[in-house]
Amino acid sequence: MSLASGPGRARTDTAHLPDDLRLYIDKHVMYIQSLDRRKDELEYWLTEHLRLSGLYWGLTALHLLGQPDALPRDEIIDFVISCMHDNGGFGAAPGHDAHMLYTVSGVQILAMLDAFEDFEQRVQDGKRKIGHFISNFQNRDTGTFAGDEWGETDTRFLYGALNALSLLGMLHLVDVTKAVEHVDSCANFDGGYGTGPGAESHAGQIFTCVGALTIAGRLDLVDRDKLGAWLSERQLPNGGLNGRPEKLEDVCYSWWVVSSLAMIGRLHWIDKEKLATFILRCQDPELGGIADRPGDMVDVFHTVFGIAGLSLIGYPGLQEVDPVYCMPKSITQRILAG
Amino acid sequence: MGVYSDDPLWADVEPLPQDDGGPNPLAAIAYTDEYSEAMSYLRAVMASNDMSERVLSLTEDIISMNPAHYTVWLYRARVLLTLKKDLKEEIAWLNPTALNYQKNYQIWHHRQTIIDALDSPEGEAEFIAQMFERDAKNYHVWSYRQWLVKRFDIDDESELKAIDELLRADVRNNSAWNHRWFVVFGRHEGDSLDETVLERELKYAQAAIYLAPQNQSPWNYVRGLLRKYNKPLSTIKPFATEFASLDHPDDVHSSHALDVLADIYEGEGTKADAAKALDLLAQKYDPIRANYWTYRKFLLGFPPEPDHPIFHHHNY
Repeated sequence: MSLASGPGRARTDTAHLPDDLRLYIDKHVMYIQSLDRRKDELEYWLTEHLRLSGLYWGLTALHLLGQPDALPRDEIIDFVISCMHDNGGFGAAPGHDAHMLYTVSGVQILAMLDAFEDFEQRVQDGKRKIGHFISNFQNRDTGTFAGDEWGETDTRFLYGALNALSLLGMLHLVDVTKAVEHVDSCANFDGGYGTGPGAESHAGQIFTCVGALTIAGRLDLVDRDKLGAWLSERQLPNGGLNGRPEKLEDVCYSWWVVSSLAMIGRLHWIDKEKLATFILRCQDPELGGIADRPGDMVDVFHTVFGIAGLSLIGYPGLQEVDPVYCMPKSITQRILAG
Repeated sequence: MGVYSDDPLWADVEPLPQDDGGPNPLAAIAYTDEYSEAMSYLRAVMASNDMSERVLSLTEDIISMNPAHYTVWLYRARVLLTLKKDLKEEIAWLNPTALNYQKNYQIWHHRQTIIDALDSPEGEAEFIAQMFERDAKNYHVWSYRQWLVKRFDIDDESELKAIDELLRADVRNNSAWNHRWFVVFGRHEGDSLDETVLERELKYAQAAIYLAPQNQSPWNYVRGLLRKYNKPLSTIKPFATEFASLDHPDDVHSSHALDVLADIYEGEGTKADAAKALDLLAQKYDPIRANYWTYRKFLLGFPPEPDHPIFHHHNY
């Protein structure tokens, strides 16, 4: 899965939008399928350190677009397994160090492909190994999680750990209460959350903190009105959302902000129609793909978060997305019920 | 032939090509030659756990082509610490790299590892100032700065001075406001509250609001201060009224002031005035969040119209 940007570019003719502004579903499916045919480009290889997450982004987008089989299942499973280390962690690509973020992507891909059994058949004791890799990164005194052996902690890693472990049915391997206490200590005076205690509120980190609290069943700790006010303040007059005050809008915040609002039951505090119009303006109508803002190069990261954002606000023709996991709701429901 | 295969320094190393784990894998090989060759030597030295001097130039080469490759940075740090290299030289090399790749996360993690090992923050404040000249809201740099303040117990005074300079350049810099809170309160969590600090901070934030009334950061800061000290929001009623008044609904200079006034009126029990302020926000001064303001009005006891979108959360 290529994370290289382009080749397409989002439309720039924003002054006079056609009445039938729509989501180019077929084009986006073709775009994602085409990404893997770009191996003759250097940028494809320069983004190798993100590859497994890229695959997760592309696959999620395809599922939400209603084309879950548009990428070859067996090849994806082969690739995921080739990224796995003996210690149970996954690197972004073969030969890259194991890291929490790619381990989570690996688990999410296997979950989406309903492939835990295939995985277990090919990697003996595989799920248990992953569970231990993840749980070993928790600091049992503070509840935080590191992303790798170097020990830097970040609420992203904590969320990733709870996300993957809940999908694996292995939350009991970690101290969820301590993790919750840590997230709570990251709440800022403005109602938001950052990477750690005292770090600036950032919509992406708010998603991870609210997501972690949702998985832990502790949303009661969130001041929903205060956080919702801060999140809804992210919408700019052009309909797009930014991630922090006084920053530019970006399609990826259509996911981080809106999913957080959905989790705290405040989704209607943004203007959905204006947001949909903004996201749709960021499409490349010819070659598919979505960019961060109109006129910029498209890429798979903004493509999935644009589509997931549209799904959250109920745009017609898309599968429903789970705001906690950024995966199809039908899949998370099946897994979490089992 | 390549840069490394022709170099006698690397003659003993057998490069390891990429193995993607299948005959026709999803992510097969087609690197450009230069990058591909350097990577195959990296795989080889990592496989043999080579910690020699030449690995430093190899990792430098790969980083210059692809600074986001996290594995390369981790390996480089390991080699530097193993060989007990002069870490000041490493920082000198790192500076231009960080300035060139503003969005890179690995560089800051690497820097933290090196500065921690050096056990001195000397020169760091100056370098951070250079980074902020390019982007004063860079999240990685601010996180690093917080780490630095905690790790070396840097005094409040020099931090507050640096923050003040940044806010003079851009009073809307939310990162600087956050850092101010961190320095004044966050790092002293548990200390008793000093009233003179409240006065000083209130005055500071209010001066900033005079400069730019429609700036949410200092308004959030003021609200945070009053909450921290358990003071009622009405403490700033005369101040807020300077920017918004129900008597002059066409002459509002700050939606945030109107928002504060709505809360103050609610606290005072004059709900009709609170509702007027919220209506002004919903209809005129912040219509994109009309549903939020309607919700606030609903909390006061004013039911929205039955066909209001507040009742249709899930409809597009």
